[in-house]
Amino acid sequence: MSEKNSTLGQVFATLLLRLWLGIRALQTGVEKFAGKVMSEQSVEVDGKAYDPDLTEVASTKAYSLDNYSGVPAALKETFKGEPLMMNWALNIFDKVLGPALIILGITILLGVANRVSLLILGLIYVGLTWGLILIKQDSGVAWLGIHVVMVAMALNWANHNRLCILKKW
Amino acid sequence: MMNRRDFLAKGSTAAGAGLVLAAPSILKAADGNNDKINVALIGMGKQGRVLFEAMSNIPGLHFQAVCDIWDYNLKGGAGKVRALQGAMPNTYTDIDDLLEKEKGLDVAIVATPDFWHSPHTVKCLEAGLDVYCEKMMSNTIEGARAIVRATEKSGKLCQIGHQRRSNPRYRFTLDHLINNNKVCGTIVNINGQWNRALKSSQDISYNKRLTIDSERLTKYGFKDMHQFMNWRFYRDLSGGPISDLGAHQIDVFGWFLNCKPKSVYASGGNDYFKTREHFDNVMAIFEYDAPQGPVRAFYQVLTTTSAGGGFYESFMGTDGTVNISEMASSSAIYRESTAPEWEDLVNRGYMRKKPAPPKPAASDGVASYESAAPEEYTIPGVLNKPPHQPHLENFFASVRGNAKLNCDARHAFESEAPIFWVNPSALKKEPIVFTPEQLQV
Repeated sequence: MSEKNSTLGQVFATLLLRLWLGIRALQTGVEKFAGKVMSEQSVEVDGKAYDPDLTEVASTKAYSLDNYSGVPAALKETFKGEPLMMNWALNIFDKVLGPALIILGITILLGVANRVSLLILGLIYVGLTWGLILIKQDSGVAWLGIHVVMVAMALNWANHNRLCILKKW
Repeated sequence: MMNRRDFLAKGSTAAGAGLVLAAPSILKAADGNNDKINVALIGMGKQGRVLFEAMSNIPGLHFQAVCDIWDYNLKGGAGKVRALQGAMPNTYTDIDDLLEKEKGLDVAIVATPDFWHSPHTVKCLEAGLDVYCEKMMSNTIEGARAIVRATEKSGKLCQIGHQRRSNPRYRFTLDHLINNNKVCGTIVNINGQWNRALKSSQDISYNKRLTIDSERLTKYGFKDMHQFMNWRFYRDLSGGPISDLGAHQIDVFGWFLNCKPKSVYASGGNDYFKTREHFDNVMAIFEYDAPQGPVRAFYQVLTTTSAGGGFYESFMGTDGTVNISEMASSSAIYRESTAPEWEDLVNRGYMRKKPAPPKPAASDGVASYESAAPEEYTIPGVLNKPPHQPHLENFFASVRGNAKLNCDARHAFESEAPIFWVNPSALKKEPIVFTPEQLQV
């Protein structure tokens, strides 16, 4: 099927799917760098600080390289007890997951080598699914399954893609 | 040459009473070498070190001398002082020796065993020092009376270490929640406790190589090293758990109600620690004729179990209950379903609302007899410094003439006097209806 034969609906459907998958990947990757900055604030009563010694801890969300955590610490601990989970593989996944999702999110949104980008994204989701199967997180497996279906749909409709920087691959 | 005490005495007269200001922020601005307060640390055991750690955050103090009869405490305490201020303080094993030799002292911090509080505080007051003395004032009511008399005779300041009186959470709760906004409505009952696990109530051991020679122990009133380390278990040296732990909280009862109890009925026993002189578990009921109406206050100190949520004071009223503790996590406010709405207080920052508790299961037949679960709120904020620091700051601000003591000797006596009658009531298994003489200096 050539691009010229695409209907307007197919073009929009492909664009929407690309947007969703791109944003999903990009923001998920960015959130791997999110953390909390704790600060102390005086307790305010009727709009005025009551006593400098009486304070509340307020936390605000902030992003920094120091906050990076690819695989959440709790999950990492759980995986340690899994005989089939190779530690070296987990470490690699932990290090590359965030940057990979950001890069893939950007390439999918900009339309750079969309087929390859979608394939890699799909493989990452498959990898995550395998990890969740190991620790019996069935709802997470189902959740990722939906993602993989969406990636497959996007690949299937790749011919209807428009607004791409690099259409090849 | 005018020393610091003379300067303060003359300065406060000239300035007049109108310059009494809120303490802590003023205190922070008063740092400077020419404004140093010279401090003697009397007793550098566990509590002495706690106070020192809190004082180490307060600017403008010079720790001039340290006194302790145990070399281990003395050297350790002096080392902490050197680490803080870069120079060793003068060290003494005898307080008389210290008071005789040290010149230019302004203040003494007394954190010796309870039976020494009164003699040491009186000596320091008579030597012209302002004194911060740990609670209880004494192991006997006569000893406590002696402190009040010596304070008033000397004209010096004497703060007793009921540190909750300077805790901004407690002051906020009393001033804004209980008094101004009357969240409890009419307080009808008080419940307080300090339940401590067996593990924390064991005999304190010591390294035999650090034993104090028997002559020195005898001179300072201890029959042996075990008694020195565990003086809290002995009737001649301490008031026991009701005094060690209960005094803080029973003080809050009277402070919040603004009155003295009219009677006490107590029960106690050596339920686990059979050989100790003091009861290991004590329960007491105080009756108050408070300005707002009659109130009964139940207090228990258990050194055999931590069950029941540790330590807190609970003020129960017709509209709500305030649970308060030095531990912010043990504090809460509960609104009775018939009380006026507190939305406005929440919006103005006086309290925080917690999510509603789950409703009881419909199949729970007993639940239908229960009152509706009260809404839960929290007291805003936590104290952002060691618990004793605000009380010490208030003391030093008062020494500088910038504040009024939050717990002077006379007020502390009024608070502590009823506590001295708990053990006698438990021993006799009889209620004691207080006569004015029993609670007066």
